[in-house]
Amino acid sequence: MASALTIKAALRWPIRILIIWLMLVSQVSLADKAKVVVMTSYPQEVVSQFEAAFEKQYPQYKLEVLWRQSRDAMAYFKESGQPVDVYWTPAQRNFAQLEKMQAFQPLNLDLDGLPAAVNGFALREGNHIATEIAGYGIVSNPQALAKAGLPIPRNWTDLSHPALKGKIALPVPSKVGYAPPLIDILLQGYGWQDGWNLLQAIAANAELVTSGATFVSDDVASGRLLAGLTIDFFTASAIANGAPLQFVYPELTGYSPAHLAIMKNAGNLEGARAFSKFVLSEQGQRLLFHPDIRKLPVRPSVYADKPAAYFNPFENNPAFVYDTRRGLARQEITNALFDAIITFNLPSLQNAVSAIRDASNKSGPDAPAVVKAKQLLHSLPIDEAGAEAIQTLSPADITRWQRIMHDRYEEAIRIASPH
Amino acid sequence: MRSILSLTIALATLFTIKASGNEPAQVVTNNTSREAYAQAINPLSAEERQQFLQGRSLVRQSWIISPAMDNDIAGLGPLYNRNACIACHAKNGRGFAPDGPEESMRAMLVRLSLPGKTHTGAPVPHPAYGDQLQEFGAPGIEAEGRAHLHYEETEVTLNGGETVRLRKPTLKFSGLAYGPLPGNIQTSARIAPAIYGMGLLEAIADDTLLALQAQPKPGSIKGRVNRVWSIEQQQQVIGRFGWKANVATVREQTASALAGDMGLSSHLFPHGNCAERQAACRQAPVSGTPEIPATQLAQMELYQLALAVPSPRHQDDPRVQRGALLFRQAQCAACHLPEIRTSEFPRLAALGNQTIAPYTDLLLHDMGPELADRRPDFSAIGSEWRTPPLWGIGLAKQVEPNAGFLHDGRARTILEAILWHGGEAQESRTMVQKMSPQDRQWLLDFIESL
Repeated sequence: MASALTIKAALRWPIRILIIWLMLVSQVSLADKAKVVVMTSYPQEVVSQFEAAFEKQYPQYKLEVLWRQSRDAMAYFKESGQPVDVYWTPAQRNFAQLEKMQAFQPLNLDLDGLPAAVNGFALREGNHIATEIAGYGIVSNPQALAKAGLPIPRNWTDLSHPALKGKIALPVPSKVGYAPPLIDILLQGYGWQDGWNLLQAIAANAELVTSGATFVSDDVASGRLLAGLTIDFFTASAIANGAPLQFVYPELTGYSPAHLAIMKNAGNLEGARAFSKFVLSEQGQRLLFHPDIRKLPVRPSVYADKPAAYFNPFENNPAFVYDTRRGLARQEITNALFDAIITFNLPSLQNAVSAIRDASNKSGPDAPAVVKAKQLLHSLPIDEAGAEAIQTLSPADITRWQRIMHDRYEEAIRIASPH
Repeated sequence: MRSILSLTIALATLFTIKASGNEPAQVVTNNTSREAYAQAINPLSAEERQQFLQGRSLVRQSWIISPAMDNDIAGLGPLYNRNACIACHAKNGRGFAPDGPEESMRAMLVRLSLPGKTHTGAPVPHPAYGDQLQEFGAPGIEAEGRAHLHYEETEVTLNGGETVRLRKPTLKFSGLAYGPLPGNIQTSARIAPAIYGMGLLEAIADDTLLALQAQPKPGSIKGRVNRVWSIEQQQQVIGRFGWKANVATVREQTASALAGDMGLSSHLFPHGNCAERQAACRQAPVSGTPEIPATQLAQMELYQLALAVPSPRHQDDPRVQRGALLFRQAQCAACHLPEIRTSEFPRLAALGNQTIAPYTDLLLHDMGPELADRRPDFSAIGSEWRTPPLWGIGLAKQVEPNAGFLHDGRARTILEAILWHGGEAQESRTMVQKMSPQDRQWLLDFIESL
């Protein structure tokens, strides 16, 4: 007993010192939490969920978000000189550009369980990796459609039905961030000419959506519009939060990825790795199921816990695979063409389609005036090879295309209209 | 029984009263989803609707640190707490407190001041930290430091044997970059309040609030208006927004939060939030003068004015009706008023001349030493708090599962919040403690139905 007491007495001071030291260390660790600087354009709903869960998992780090949209983010990387640890955002072009600039460093993460592709769609390239994907499709309001006696549109071509006139939401790719691949999916999927023909036919029924205050899902949920072309997560999140909507992935669809990379000038490399590891982990990937996020995880194992009716791209086997690289390379051209063919000429386009439809009903589809007017309607200012050969797009080209299409639509109206 | 019936009828019908136009004004929403706090009142003119949607975009916007190419959404910081309104007011709902010292303040902030008052009667800001601790800084600008909440837990036993654990927060700071805080610093940790129904509260006439102040009340309940400085009107006016009714209007509240929480200047707060001694902050680039033009401020203001309030639910349920009676018997309704009338409101006509059920009197009440922050705010003393509105409170956890209650989010449940009531509300708290478990549950059912 005496020896036990002696040992206890002997340990008393070292134990006290240890306790004091631990207390000090804990205070210091509170004070000196290392920040992890993440550049993103994700909306607050996404950032908040990941911030909370990451800081809980890694209490030694505090997430500091630098929010910038794609264009501004590139300017920041080129000009600011301030360190950023991780770039994590849906902006595929930026990642390609930054890869060329050798702005990233190797992830050096265990990528076990993360496939390199889904249905032929690459999920990693160079030093950047996809952290989620989103799919394109059609949002509709089943109740409002039923009330109008119309079926739910399931394919892009369904959106050109004359009964949907004035009831379709069509996002403008030069204004709405997610829309360029959406338009190009139709061009690649149906072919250049047929794709533009279909876009014109849909536009004849559509209201255009720009980067203003309303969302496609708002207008469709309210019943003011009946359907729209969109990306899945807006609708999936609205549905999860109670909106009376439905989303369909048409047979021809494609994905838009968000990527993550560790910057070469990362000030906190360990923190950057911890955040990257977290985003790609089972826990991080499951956060994508949150009702306010609803993106598609890139780690197949987490789909075992997916909410009901959640789309699993790893179980989908589409006949068509969207070529993202090709889409990105010609994005500026297709955006400008969309504006020339549709955005800036919408009233003329809609009038031309109506006039041709009326003439066709009256005189038959093979009547010479109808054939001639259709020919004018569908004559594009440039073919696919010509569009892809353009190195630098000039404002004069855009103005010329716009004028050409305007004149063709007006001529089509004149030819198709009764004299 | 008659009073229950009349209350039920009043609750069921009070929102379809005609506004000044021909269309009946709907200032409540039957939406019970997670978007319940994000619905617009009806009718709105086309112009008002457009402003509402623009305002919604701005309230949801993540702001950018200057310099930036997207100049219309730039100007964040250089010192700030969060980069978007909805970072704290998620889905327009209330914020929450961290669960321990290691967690960041994500929907909460800490007010700071020195003893005394400025010439306007406002709290005196600290010369190096201003009136609020900002935990983030733009690249190259040091953040002010971090606040940590430590909790001390106690157990309360209620009639019937139920025990409730209450957590009392204590604030500590770390990483203070602009020097130590003095011993006499006054602090107040506050979670973000919900932002729906604010237009209806603004549409209540000053005279109505003064009449409520003068009205005799049961027991030791008193209640008085806060008199605050209006930057816009350049005079003392009645305060009605903020945890201490320390702000006069939705517009001033919005501009104040934009400046204080995000460092965004407006014509009402032209200098953002850099404190007197923060030279680097003052020299940082700005995106415009001011960063929030009057049009954007007006859009954000209109969005909040026009946010509808969730309708009460389950009002036919006898348990809820019994709870409503207990709510009155426990004198809760003396401050959490079930009925107030708004007056003419030209800014948004649909809000005018409505009988509403906000469950607040917008008055300050002494809530006792346990809730006191010992930080006066205009005429409010440390233990005085404005009666928070209870409308829509039953959906709080659905909208934000972490939602907290009381000014510092210490209460994790409505029952915990009741058990923190002291001072003028001590008697009510005691009555709730002494209620049979069944009655207490019915009372909570009623509050959850709001």
